[in-house]
Amino acid sequence: MNLLHATWLTAFADLSDGPSTVLFLWADTWQVATPKEPKNSPCTHPYTLSTKELEIWLKKKNLFPKESQETSACLTLPSKFAIDEIINKDQKISKQETKWSTLPLIAGEALPKKYEWWPWKTEGLALAPWEASQWLKQLPLSQTDYDLSEEILWLTHLERWTLRLIANGLWLPQVKSSKEASKHHCARWVPLLNQENERQRLEEFVQTMPLAVMCGVPWRDPSMQSCNKIKTKSTKSIGPLNPIASSCVNKERNLVTNVLEEIVDAQLRKDFEEKSNNLDPLLSAWQKALGSADGFIELCDKDIQRLEEATKNWKKGFYSNLKDAKTCLQLIPPNDAENLWNLHFLLQAEANPANTISAKKVWEADAKGVIIGDIKVLDPSEILLEGLGRALNIFPAIERGLEDPTPHSMQLSPAEAFIFIKTATNQLRDNGIGVILPESLSSGFSSRLGLTINAELKEKFKGAIAGESLDWSWELMIGGIELTMKELEVLEKKNSPLVNHKGTWIELRPNDLKKVQQFSSNPPLLNLNEALTLTANQGNTLLKLPVHRFTSGPRLRNVLEQYHHQQSPEPLPNPKGFEGNLRPYQQRGLGWLAFLYSFHQGACLADDMGLGKTIQLLAFIQKLKNDGELIKPLLLIAPTSVITNWRREAKAFTPELSLLEHYGIQRASSVEQLSQSLKKIDICITSYSLAFRDKELFQDINWQGVVIDEAQAIKNPKAKQSVAIRDISQRLKQNPLRIALTGTPIENRISELWALMNFLNPKVLGEEDFFNQRYKLPIEQYGDISSLNDLKSLVSPFILRRLKTDKSIISDLPNKIELNEWVTLSEEQEHLYNKTVETSLKEIASSPLGQRHGKMLGLLTRLKQICNHPALILKESEITKDFLERSTKVQRLEQILEEVIEANDRALLFTQFTEWGYLLQSYLQKRWQAEIPFLHGGSSKIQRQQMIDRFQNDPRGPRLFLLSLKAGGLGLNLTRANHVFHIDRWWNPAVENQATDRAYRIGQTKSVIVHKFITTGSIEEKINQMILKKSQLSENIIDSGESWLSKLSVEELSKLVLLESHTETT
Amino acid sequence: MNDSEITTAISRKGLGKQAWWVEQWMELINSYRYKKRLERAWIYAREGNVTSIRFEGRRIHARVQGTEKKPYKVKLWLDVLDDENWTYVIDALAKKAKWSAQLLAGVMPKDIEQAFATTGKRLFPFNLQEVKSECSCPDQANPCKHISAVYFLMGEQFKENPFLLFQLRGKGKNSLLSDLAQKRLSVSKESQAKTHVLNNTSMTKNNIIRSPEIWWSYKQNLDDDLVVITSSTEAKAGPLIAGEIPLASNPQFPASQNTFIKNLISYSETQGQKAMLSAMSINT
Repeated sequence: MNLLHATWLTAFADLSDGPSTVLFLWADTWQVATPKEPKNSPCTHPYTLSTKELEIWLKKKNLFPKESQETSACLTLPSKFAIDEIINKDQKISKQETKWSTLPLIAGEALPKKYEWWPWKTEGLALAPWEASQWLKQLPLSQTDYDLSEEILWLTHLERWTLRLIANGLWLPQVKSSKEASKHHCARWVPLLNQENERQRLEEFVQTMPLAVMCGVPWRDPSMQSCNKIKTKSTKSIGPLNPIASSCVNKERNLVTNVLEEIVDAQLRKDFEEKSNNLDPLLSAWQKALGSADGFIELCDKDIQRLEEATKNWKKGFYSNLKDAKTCLQLIPPNDAENLWNLHFLLQAEANPANTISAKKVWEADAKGVIIGDIKVLDPSEILLEGLGRALNIFPAIERGLEDPTPHSMQLSPAEAFIFIKTATNQLRDNGIGVILPESLSSGFSSRLGLTINAELKEKFKGAIAGESLDWSWELMIGGIELTMKELEVLEKKNSPLVNHKGTWIELRPNDLKKVQQFSSNPPLLNLNEALTLTANQGNTLLKLPVHRFTSGPRLRNVLEQYHHQQSPEPLPNPKGFEGNLRPYQQRGLGWLAFLYSFHQGACLADDMGLGKTIQLLAFIQKLKNDGELIKPLLLIAPTSVITNWRREAKAFTPELSLLEHYGIQRASSVEQLSQSLKKIDICITSYSLAFRDKELFQDINWQGVVIDEAQAIKNPKAKQSVAIRDISQRLKQNPLRIALTGTPIENRISELWALMNFLNPKVLGEEDFFNQRYKLPIEQYGDISSLNDLKSLVSPFILRRLKTDKSIISDLPNKIELNEWVTLSEEQEHLYNKTVETSLKEIASSPLGQRHGKMLGLLTRLKQICNHPALILKESEITKDFLERSTKVQRLEQILEEVIEANDRALLFTQFTEWGYLLQSYLQKRWQAEIPFLHGGSSKIQRQQMIDRFQNDPRGPRLFLLSLKAGGLGLNLTRANHVFHIDRWWNPAVENQATDRAYRIGQTKSVIVHKFITTGSIEEKINQMILKKSQLSENIIDSGESWLSKLSVEELSKLVLLESHTETT
Repeated sequence: MNDSEITTAISRKGLGKQAWWVEQWMELINSYRYKKRLERAWIYAREGNVTSIRFEGRRIHARVQGTEKKPYKVKLWLDVLDDENWTYVIDALAKKAKWSAQLLAGVMPKDIEQAFATTGKRLFPFNLQEVKSECSCPDQANPCKHISAVYFLMGEQFKENPFLLFQLRGKGKNSLLSDLAQKRLSVSKESQAKTHVLNNTSMTKNNIIRSPEIWWSYKQNLDDDLVVITSSTEAKAGPLIAGEIPLASNPQFPASQNTFIKNLISYSETQGQKAMLSAMSINT
């Protein structure tokens, strides 16, 4: 798969008359390539798309830039490094010569032990800054298109930052003179990063910049005399030869500010018109150049110098150049006895404000400079003094403190300290000077007057009902210290904005006392529900007063911690009547379901595939039954393809529970009929499509609750079946049970969350329109992280998702999990199956013994094919429109594959039928719009190796790999897959196991899940039984292939192949 | 026109209050007794008769178009401090951190003369007689109106570069600042009783970042502040807070800077609106 990259090229000279700075778009795609030997010019990047291919691809993606130029650039990339040691012919070991070769690493590729930075010639498209900014604007602001590299995301964020800068007018025009005679002097629009928060943002962009953005380094042609002779070089010789191209790029502030400046300049230049005439010649020339495309100023060198100097000084008044460190003023409150404040002079690291050194150390510094944290500053005293000089303009009182040659602190009167906090601090921060205030006075949340709350469940608290009120008390708190109402009144009387309370200085705001009086005169009731929201995240308020601390008693804490997943749920033992053995994490899952049910809250169990959601739910229902809480039937809605699975699992694990399948033609058609058949029934299973079709029926039944399996089925809030199911759910009475099961990471799918939560707990997310405005739009369009966090804290109490890779789970899990996927036949399949059995049995009975064996074999093969898909037996070679509907097995396969792909896992799919492989390949490729390789007997040796290499090595390689059982079952190493699908069954378990071992072998780091498809009642189930029972028959099969068939009588054969109706098996 | 009007005539053209050293210079001129001559000089300056001003070392060379066809050559200079005196001045300047601080921030300290007092010299000329001058015009009076016209424009030049006075006294900006820096270093050496050794290991930038993992990877979510783009309620736009450009104004175009900056301010508003709208439009 292609991955689009973007690199910012400066000093780009390849385009004649073009801009010197461009955004360079290029794309790579993994393929097999031979390592390149170093030469005197950069080798061609073996993985990149040609400009033609890139254009076609971008046009298809609708991302082709309007104006761009085809070009190529030299990119410095980390590269794999291979050394062959050649021993000279004369066998002298001392004279070893090393020959080395290299290949570029691509994004996501595992890091080799040896790597080197190396230049690669790459084709691509160049965009001028203005076009680049427009092109970036149209891209998503969160990682939603996986064809776009992460460095492009970084650039889109940077581009968005320029919008903020422009929206706030944070720019100033400047003049940049050129020292080279051939180049022009330019007028530039320059972003202003004077404000502290913008400077911090810059540091963040610098820290997080993927170096690929800046890896375009011009290649310097090595001017060696004997260029032609030396073709290969050692790394040591070429490094110094071309230090720029073969060295890595640094993360530097300048690189980022340059890109920022280019984008800001391009945007402001575009619209600027030369409005006023009658300006003096200098300003007039400057103004003209600011609006021109190239920015060239027509002035003599002397005037340029004056103008440049003047504009620099203009900016300097409130803006120091960005350096590694800046001046910082720290305010220290007085001790109790005194009333003078201290102001300390510090030097602060720009990248990490926590790192500071005192002025004392600055004055002691010698020519080597000083070290602040992990940076080194060469001219500390100049930085400190310059900053103090600017601080003096803003806060004149400082002058008094600078009378000494080497001052490191000064004293401030209380009045001065107050001015410093209230007005100077912000101004100083806007001028690139750091300020550190005492925690209790910094303007954060904690400095506001607020509450601390103590709460506990009431003594006679019954279970845990969300609306029940709590025993609680409150205190006042400000700046991290508690105070009483009386103390507050005393402080208020002092009539001073800054007051000292118990040794801490705090700032009282005008309305504080009033607000608190209002609160105390009428304190609200606090119930468990409110306690849950107050503790969900920081910064909550109660009647407009910030809640600084929430302390809960032991019993309440127990509830809250479980609710917020801070404490793993209390495990419950296997319920009586449950015929299985819950693993420890499953017992915790059971405990969690019971915990939420005690609050009458809906629960979504979203464990990873293979962790056993079904049995956790069955155990829970059994527990309800045991506890006498299951009085009415439960409605379980699942996709048609898994209904059989449910029936099987329920029968195996909870045989005491009585089941009713509301499915098929014989299902109840009236409420009376249905109520009648629901008598003494615990669980009624139906499909999503029937839940919609028979919704009138379901709405009128008094259910205990509703469980939906594969809950992503209701993800579309407007779809008819989603609406129907929410209707049924809303009509439930008396604290019903609502549970959703899903294996997809539901909490990450914002648009699907609403429908799910509306089913589970409608109050949590409110109406759909509100939800879309408040959460969906900001999160999906802008990747708004704080909305996302809010949303997550709202829904997370109701979702339990554990991954196979979780530490607490992994020890419980076997390395290999085998899952049987039970499916039924579609109507068409069933019809074909019965017909085939009927005609074939007759034919076999009437044919001579010698032909029987072949015919029997043919029949078994045909039946297995029907179980896969009718298309196989009908010899269709194209995918029909209703391909999915015609086979239950394909439906189920698709569901599971969705989860596999969602989880970023990879899977091997084995089949014994090559024609089936082809059909499935074209169906799945269409379904996921991705290439899916198919390895079979007809694949050439080279093709096989390519498919395997690609699957194992390409970071963005195919997620699914189809293999024929015979060609792909042996010898291959495909450990990148951690799912193995046996789409059809083979008689011999050893053959299946060998196939499974392609993934389950040394080198596998995850637990492998093996999915075995079994069509209920069909030949496949018989095969499964035989394998399980290791019957005589199956041993024969293992020993002697399929020769045993000839020994079967027609009766025995018909027993084997006749389709058992599924009602019999219940 | 009385004398006070002349000073304000220039300062009014700026956006704000003049820096004190510019005002002090103007006061110096206005202390001149011959008001009529001053008035004519002012007209000369305003009408662009001063065709060039150049600084060559410690002297100012200007050309002023007079009644003759060829412009007159004007030279201005001050008494220069010798190296020894400068050593005293640097020593004195280093005694108060605020002087270095303000000079580095591009501000002339108000009490700078204190530092010069140790040498018995001054930075600012005490009266106009201390400003030495020559003019190629036939007028015998000194200062003549040509010289006076240059005086007026010097005020603007001081606004552009506060260090000009130092230059005229024999020490340019770079030399002054580097002398001060040197002074600080030698002071710190003296005060260092205990030798403070810096460990110079592994501080090279190349070593800090040499990991290929960060080559491709960026996992950040969009910063909160960048989700919804709004403009700040306080007026903090660059053109608004930057104030006057420290560029000597051209008396022929008195409103020039004002117009230019007003233009920029209104441009910052329209562009701000546009950026906010652009940030709101959603691409799907």
